[in-house]
Amino acid sequence: MFEDKLKEFEPIFHPRSLAVVGASATSVKAGSLWVWSLKSAGFAGRLYPVGAKGGQLGDLQILPNLRLVPGEVDYVIASIPRQSVLDLLDDCLVKNVKAVQFFTAGFSEMDPQEGRELERQMLERARKGNLRIIGPNCIGVYCPEHRIPFLMGMLGESGSVGFISQSGGIATKLVTIGMERHIKYSKGVSLGNGIDLDASDFLQYLAADPMTKVIGAYLEGTRNGTRLFQTMKEVARVKPLIVWKAGRTEAGSRAATSHTGSLASSAAIWSAMLKQAGAIEVHNLEELTDTMLIFQQLGQWRGIRAAIIGGLADGGGGNSVAAGDACMESGLKVPPLFSETKDGLSKLLGEVGGIFRNPVDVSQAQFRGLAALFQAIDLVVKDAATDVVLIQEDIDILLPIYSRQGVEEINEFLIELRSRRNKPIIVVLPPGSAEPERLQIGQKLLKGSIPTFSSMERASKAVHKFNQCSCWQEAGQGLPEDAAQVNSMTPQQPF
Amino acid sequence: MVKSQNLLTEVESKELLSKAGIPVVEAKLARSKREATAISREMGFPVVLKISSPDVVHKSDSGGVRLGLANATQVGKAYSEIISSVRKAYPEAQIEGVSVQPMAPTGVEVIVGMSKDPQFGPVLMFGLGGILVEVLKDVSFRIVPVTERDAREMIKEIKGYPVLQGYRGQKPVNIPALENLIVKVSQFVEKNPQIKELDLNPVFAYPDEVVAVDARIILE
Repeated sequence: MFEDKLKEFEPIFHPRSLAVVGASATSVKAGSLWVWSLKSAGFAGRLYPVGAKGGQLGDLQILPNLRLVPGEVDYVIASIPRQSVLDLLDDCLVKNVKAVQFFTAGFSEMDPQEGRELERQMLERARKGNLRIIGPNCIGVYCPEHRIPFLMGMLGESGSVGFISQSGGIATKLVTIGMERHIKYSKGVSLGNGIDLDASDFLQYLAADPMTKVIGAYLEGTRNGTRLFQTMKEVARVKPLIVWKAGRTEAGSRAATSHTGSLASSAAIWSAMLKQAGAIEVHNLEELTDTMLIFQQLGQWRGIRAAIIGGLADGGGGNSVAAGDACMESGLKVPPLFSETKDGLSKLLGEVGGIFRNPVDVSQAQFRGLAALFQAIDLVVKDAATDVVLIQEDIDILLPIYSRQGVEEINEFLIELRSRRNKPIIVVLPPGSAEPERLQIGQKLLKGSIPTFSSMERASKAVHKFNQCSCWQEAGQGLPEDAAQVNSMTPQQPF
Repeated sequence: MVKSQNLLTEVESKELLSKAGIPVVEAKLARSKREATAISREMGFPVVLKISSPDVVHKSDSGGVRLGLANATQVGKAYSEIISSVRKAYPEAQIEGVSVQPMAPTGVEVIVGMSKDPQFGPVLMFGLGGILVEVLKDVSFRIVPVTERDAREMIKEIKGYPVLQGYRGQKPVNIPALENLIVKVSQFVEKNPQIKELDLNPVFAYPDEVVAVDARIILE
């Protein structure tokens, strides 16, 4: 689907040559910053700084005009005054540039009349050739594979998550959060005002892009709702599509004569549209990144029956009860484990009763050594009554009992167990007084394909969102209800 | 009152809907007391009389609706009362007469409507009718065109869904018929882009069928 977009967008995400217009040798301008960012990221193509005053930028010569670039230019990043954009478009047409991205702001977002008129003229100019416009008022594309960072130079590892964002600030935040939480992006784009290439175009591209397995989107509005709806319907059929629509509180104050008209607020219609299109709606940055993370880590797996280990040591009781509530409230099921599992845990930990039902409290293992703890965790993980295991690890409690070394071993065991048992394990690391250790353990688990969250609420919500993906239903694979078929049927393939 | 040339009367609205295959309680226009009683006899008692005017949107607010009229005498009296009551409330309203229709047995009240979103175009709404739609806003939306699956989902989505499934020994309403009505309304508004807003309120849902009891169409 949308295969034509691959060829069309090749010069945008994999430009062989790129010119930055608005670079300066003397002043700190965004254009110069862009050149430095691209250079230090190791941009995989030819790079040409362009600026009226000429001069040098490191070992690169600044050319006074785009037309003076020797050879072809695929892609232009423009950070120039608003008055110069039409002239630059002419230069781009002469150089047969494929796409130009305008960092330049101050168009329809600032001035609805004059700005929109200028945008119209820009589009008209670009249509004289095969020139595409990204923005204006945006930071353009992000492509780790081709070593294209956003403006501030951050560049994470290349991966399978694609994103689009109407806001440059949110786009940058997605990248930095991704670097911290091991969300690896295939491609990203900040599309700003989207006067030519808009959200629909980039969604179509990401749907076709073989590198991209899941798509996240931050949107504030659309100029072509009907096309966006159609596009989302088609995209969500082939790839999980997670959408955060911001600006939901705008009052639906349109005068309406009918009941229907008075109740149809913009937020309600957006939510309905996303549901109808098969997209997964999220409501903030946390939910968006949590959900992208879980899609990346869990791949094709699915299921909402959760086993919960509320605590690995002291204080597991209250945490187990609270964790059970969090999961149920998020829409997960917390079924009782098989009696063999409960018997096994009783024998191992010398306790009886409800604490082995689910949520499970394995605190007693602390008096029997790590081997007993590992065995207890394994008993819970291999129980076929559940699809996913959520483990709460409170570092503040674990460190004094097991020491740093012991805590390391526990997490190495979890990583090993996850791959051996072929069942998703999710770890909740609540913040406390041992932040450096907690963050370090989080990094280790994320590297080992175990998603981590700071609360059971976030973890369980992400698991629930994951299961809303309409791709599964389109493929005729609803949620597995029968315990026996779960893991044998769906070998786990992390993206 | 809304002074509007664009508001179709109930009789006109129902005629259009009926032609589109949407089940409605048939309503006929009576321009006089005599016509009202004649139509009532033809339809069979009890009947409902409602003011018919392109200028009156909320008919019951001005005493423009009379339910459960059991014989010709009651119909004649109600006709006069409706006309004088609406004249008093809206002296400038253009009054065509009253609509006469059979009194539908009470079913579960739902609302199906359409309005236009500036970004996504025609949008359908579904909810439980009466006080629930206005106070609790327990409604769901879908963009036109609405498929059968969309219709099924929008019915299930409302919090009041258990009411439709039958509660306290009530029989469940015919949900596939309700889905079908929603899909038909979607097709109807798709074919008629000049319709700006539409309310089927209430629609009565029964165990065997569904029917729009009142209808209002507003043109662009």
